[in-house]
Amino acid sequence: MKRAALINRATLTSRGICAVLLLAALPSAPLLTSSAQNTEQVAKASLKVGDTAPDFTLLSDQWKTVKLSDFRGKKNVFLAVYVLAFTGG
Amino acid sequence: MDSPAANAAFAKQINVKFPLLSDMNKKMLTAYGILKGYDVQSESYQWAQRANIVIDKNGIVQHVEEGDSAVNPNNALSVCTDLHKKQTAK
Repeated sequence: MKRAALINRATLTSRGICAVLLLAALPSAPLLTSSAQNTEQVAKASLKVGDTAPDFTLLSDQWKTVKLSDFRGKKNVFLAVYVLAFTGG
Repeated sequence: MDSPAANAAFAKQINVKFPLLSDMNKKMLTAYGILKGYDVQSESYQWAQRANIVIDKNGIVQHVEEGDSAVNPNNALSVCTDLHKKQTAK
């Protein structure tokens, strides 16, 4: 399932339809258990359709900086935030 | 957050051709509102939401999907395809 999704994206990129950026995020928190007392807080208002996407500069796996604004006027960007990507699940 | 080195190992393992990015200082996750805070036994932790976001050529957000449904990229992919069709039709 996960692999199929990644291949889909790779296919899309190779067709040049949009740039695909994947942000692999490993949570810095332990897995939450039902016994844990947790309160969820929203860090900031979520992004909505029609908003201007905040620019970002991030390091790629090739240690190159990737800026959202580099794609401005050139490519649509598909940004996937993939939590726990590098796990066996 | 995964470091660029961890992402490089992952990219090699699954053989992807697009960049895997690291948000080590959580700036982007915070700006996009997908970093959530949790308190577990009086300790605070921060955790990213799974999310698919499509941003068009003009930097405008065209699609946002957060949480478990964002595991499936198909909605975001169809937004990309529709955008591309609209842009090339002009």
